[in-house]
Amino acid sequence: MTQSPVLKKPTTFSQYKALLAKDLRQEFRTRDMLTSMGIYAVLVLIVFGAAFSQMPADFDIIPISGGLIWALIVFTSLLGLNRSFSHEKEEGSLQGILLVPLDRAVIFLSKATSNLIFLLLVEIITIPLFYFFFLSRSDASETLWLVVAPLLVGTIGIVGIGTLLATITMGTRGKDVLLAVLFIPLSYPLLFACVSATTAAIVGDFDFVSTFVPALAMAGGYDVVMILVSWLLYDYVVSA
Amino acid sequence: MKSEKQKAIGSDALALEVKGLTKLFGTRKALDNLDLELPQGAFLSIFGPNGAGKTTLLSILSTLARPTRGSISVLGFDINEHPDEVREHIGLISHRSMLYPDLTAEENLLFIARLYGLTNPQARVAELLDAVELSLRRHDTVRTFSRGMTQRLSIARALICDPELIFLDEPYSGLDPHAVDILDGLIARIRDGRSFIMVSHDLQKGFDLSSHVLMLAKGRKLVFSRKEDLDFTDFAEQYRSTVGMGVA
Repeated sequence: MTQSPVLKKPTTFSQYKALLAKDLRQEFRTRDMLTSMGIYAVLVLIVFGAAFSQMPADFDIIPISGGLIWALIVFTSLLGLNRSFSHEKEEGSLQGILLVPLDRAVIFLSKATSNLIFLLLVEIITIPLFYFFFLSRSDASETLWLVVAPLLVGTIGIVGIGTLLATITMGTRGKDVLLAVLFIPLSYPLLFACVSATTAAIVGDFDFVSTFVPALAMAGGYDVVMILVSWLLYDYVVSA
Repeated sequence: MKSEKQKAIGSDALALEVKGLTKLFGTRKALDNLDLELPQGAFLSIFGPNGAGKTTLLSILSTLARPTRGSISVLGFDINEHPDEVREHIGLISHRSMLYPDLTAEENLLFIARLYGLTNPQARVAELLDAVELSLRRHDTVRTFSRGMTQRLSIARALICDPELIFLDEPYSGLDPHAVDILDGLIARIRDGRSFIMVSHDLQKGFDLSSHVLMLAKGRKLVFSRKEDLDFTDFAEQYRSTVGMGVA
């Protein structure tokens, strides 16, 4: 080695970009998370199909469709969140990142962003499939397109709190169960709000705004609080 | 010749200054009231039976774990008050590679170079890949590498920021003779002015490389001395009796 390298204090944004690029490159090369989440989501849809095949022909699925969509998203995201740190644990790579002088919250932000991208990609495929299988024969409301808003706000909240919890549980025995046990109670307010807003958008009756707007505001408030809490706690959690 | 970073640290700073270091896991003492002083340029080899606290000590010194009590200064920087300054000047070579198996050798090094903020990461990565004789495999994913090649790349990874203090956690574990030669050669080439702290089970190798030795048992310091003040045969005998008597 001939000369010392020159180190220029990197910006938080450049470190965030490096971490995010690493996660995206790795996932698009292996497709570990995307494949497992995608297959799992399709299997859940098949199970839903089997359940509804027993219902009478005039059974109206619309009032419960919001809940079904969020059941699909929650279980799929739990699978993905559990896998999101598997690469970091495999060869102690997370330790390698922790040896670098950087704000630990950047690790959280980059991991949450990559999880958000992967979960949204799975939703882009599975939500239209849900519509095709279960809602296409019903009369769609004019406000149906508004489901995009609770889906986006809810997914942000899920990856925010989920990334923090996945970091806590990654080194534990039985992490799959532990993540679900911690995640579902903590995310319940978000899920409640998102199911309400999604159902309101799908049903689209005259009272739609009085349900949709407060529910969406509640989900947005949850996102802000939980992401802030996760950001603040991450240094402690990841260094523990 | 001293690097720019060495000049920035200051020649009067000790490589390591530890006072009253204690680490508790629940009620169990992994490290018990440890005091150490190590000058810059020293090579400290740490020996001890399993559970003696060697890896815990290395984790704390490299900022990966927090001490329960005690003060620690690395290269003149307090580890609790200035962890980022410490991290800027240290490297860790572990028996775990800390690499991403599905990224290529070059991608792994470029990733870490960008995190450190190297101004010319491509040149540094090319230089290090050359030093560990992996230039021809730079576009191959780490998953396709043998254990020795992975460890060589992990050495390059640890050296990316040109660290002044290098921690080695059983670095020879699982290496083939060729990789051992490369690691020996690299240590010899970068040793000038730099400090090393190595955990090893290989008594002869660790003793040969060292300028100072530390023997731990049950988190306590049994021996801490300059190598020239010790006789290897006596030291080896004490080590064997420590392990054999089940001190740990």
